[in-house]
Amino acid sequence: MASETTKPAETAAAPADQKQQEPTKPTVLGEDDEFEDFPVDDWPDNETEAAAQAASGGESSKHLWEESWDDDDTSDDFSAQLKYVDQRPSPTQHSSQSRCL
Amino acid sequence: MSLVIQFLSQIRNFIRKQDGDSLRSWLQVGPNSPRQYHELRAELRNQYRQSGLDNIIQKCLPDDEDDEVEGEAVPWPSLVTFIKEYFTFWRDADYDADLVRTHQLLSTLVSSCATALTHPAYGAMLLKTSMSLSDVLARLTMTLNRRPELTRQLRTSNDDESRKSIAESSAEIIQKIFTACLNDRSSDRSSPPKGKRVAIYIFANLVLKLLFACRRIHLAKMIFFNLGANSPPLSLYPAAQRVTFLYYLGRFSFSSGNHYLRAANCLEAAYLQTPPRFTSHRTNILTYLIAANILLGRFPSASLLQRPESRTLAPIFFPLCAALRGGDFISFQAHLAEHEDWLLEKGLLVPLTHKLRPLLWRSLARKTFLLTYVPPTDSASRKAATLDVADLHAAAVYVQRRLEGWALANNTQEDPGTTLVPPPAGRPSRLRPNEGLVWGNAEVTPDHVELQLATLVEEGLMHGFIAHGQGRFAIIGAKAKGPVAAGWPSVWQSIQERRYEEDYNPDDVPGWVRV
Repeated sequence: MASETTKPAETAAAPADQKQQEPTKPTVLGEDDEFEDFPVDDWPDNETEAAAQAASGGESSKHLWEESWDDDDTSDDFSAQLKYVDQRPSPTQHSSQSRCL
Repeated sequence: MSLVIQFLSQIRNFIRKQDGDSLRSWLQVGPNSPRQYHELRAELRNQYRQSGLDNIIQKCLPDDEDDEVEGEAVPWPSLVTFIKEYFTFWRDADYDADLVRTHQLLSTLVSSCATALTHPAYGAMLLKTSMSLSDVLARLTMTLNRRPELTRQLRTSNDDESRKSIAESSAEIIQKIFTACLNDRSSDRSSPPKGKRVAIYIFANLVLKLLFACRRIHLAKMIFFNLGANSPPLSLYPAAQRVTFLYYLGRFSFSSGNHYLRAANCLEAAYLQTPPRFTSHRTNILTYLIAANILLGRFPSASLLQRPESRTLAPIFFPLCAALRGGDFISFQAHLAEHEDWLLEKGLLVPLTHKLRPLLWRSLARKTFLLTYVPPTDSASRKAATLDVADLHAAAVYVQRRLEGWALANNTQEDPGTTLVPPPAGRPSRLRPNEGLVWGNAEVTPDHVELQLATLVEEGLMHGFIAHGQGRFAIIGAKAKGPVAAGWPSVWQSIQERRYEEDYNPDDVPGWVRV
């Protein structure tokens, strides 16, 4: 029979305190979930970029993305390799194939 | 007085007062619950038979409507069942020795809590208890999900219930609570949520977490459908719930049916609503937001990739974008191979491997045009700007050779023909289907190249037509804009301007209730 000092009724007011008095057990409930719970439930809009984005009609977040990314530079290595390939009169005369196969 | 009786007396008091907070504090189930719960367990094991315990519960929690005092609640039958299950849980559960059995007991307990919650008058007092129990169930489930050796025995069983994964069955149970909350009629759809409706997204997010963990994403469709039909606007809920929900909805759109525009809409909203201090959350969101935007032809800017949350993502996505810009299949494939494990784990390997090929072909065609096009010397010339399909074919054959392991040699002016030398072993590398330009080691033919060009024109990623007889791609509108700008319009703009069937609107994401 439990003594008066250990009844749950007395611990109801401060279950969190009680928990801290317990020896720490190895946790079996993982906390490394991929998208963890946020430590707080709510925060004001002004802590985020969303408010500025709404006020600017979407303009403020545009700098995060590049919509025109095409590359006109043909001085890179890959272009230099292709430049040579494209000088071949036709694919069937591609020297690497005719010579090496 | 025994602990069981003291416990039941307090529970009855809380029920009378409809004190949901105290019920949640008392009805603990976690492994780190205070010592009293373990003493309660010892008492349940040593001093009670099941029938005797049932009688005591029935006596302490009489579900007799005649006792009802105005303003006070009385126990109801499904609540009594729930409390019986609660004692059974504490008597039989063992987090140290048998997690699978503990999961089964907790599942039964949460399920009975879900039933008690549906009581039209008093059920809402169990809402917070439902949240805390579901939270423990979800965390225990995630633990088991990471330890398949513990649950293997269950899966060898033949009946349908057992074949379901642990995560799937937990998700189903919590979904019952989600449905009870969604169907609560305490408030209408447009006003701030009250009663059980305040918890709609807490439970939706728990279910979604479990469905993603057990890779049963398609089962989330019903949740989104039901939310679309009944939920108040998402904007009426706290920020953490909004962001978490939009993250899962974005990932669902990304994975189901390749709705990258919808995915990008959800994930961008989630990202912009997450304060910078939550770096790991922003990293998770950006992982899929960047991937979705690249698939839509919108690349992450240098300033985005320099943010703290991009620290681990920049080495993955920056080289990928560089390869796409240059049409460089060789770097692209090498980079995917280097990060294959990570991309696979994130569910990105398959979409990035296959769905970015049109962008690579587009850039390769563009680069080939830049290298081969000779503008007419006569400014009045009416000759169309064209790309010779044979030139693109030559480039493609070269790329395929490189993918098969042919190496660059020291090409010199005197002997330019030795640009490529065969692989060291003398035989081309055996390519998996996704590693070749067309299909593994399949030879790239002029027909393949022409088909690719025709597909790019059809998708609006290149602007012009194929003159099949002449073996050329002819650019339309070169005079006005210049041949390169006219022939290769912005991918992002082209995708934005696409028109769809009447019933498909990429801005309207099913499940995201806005107004």
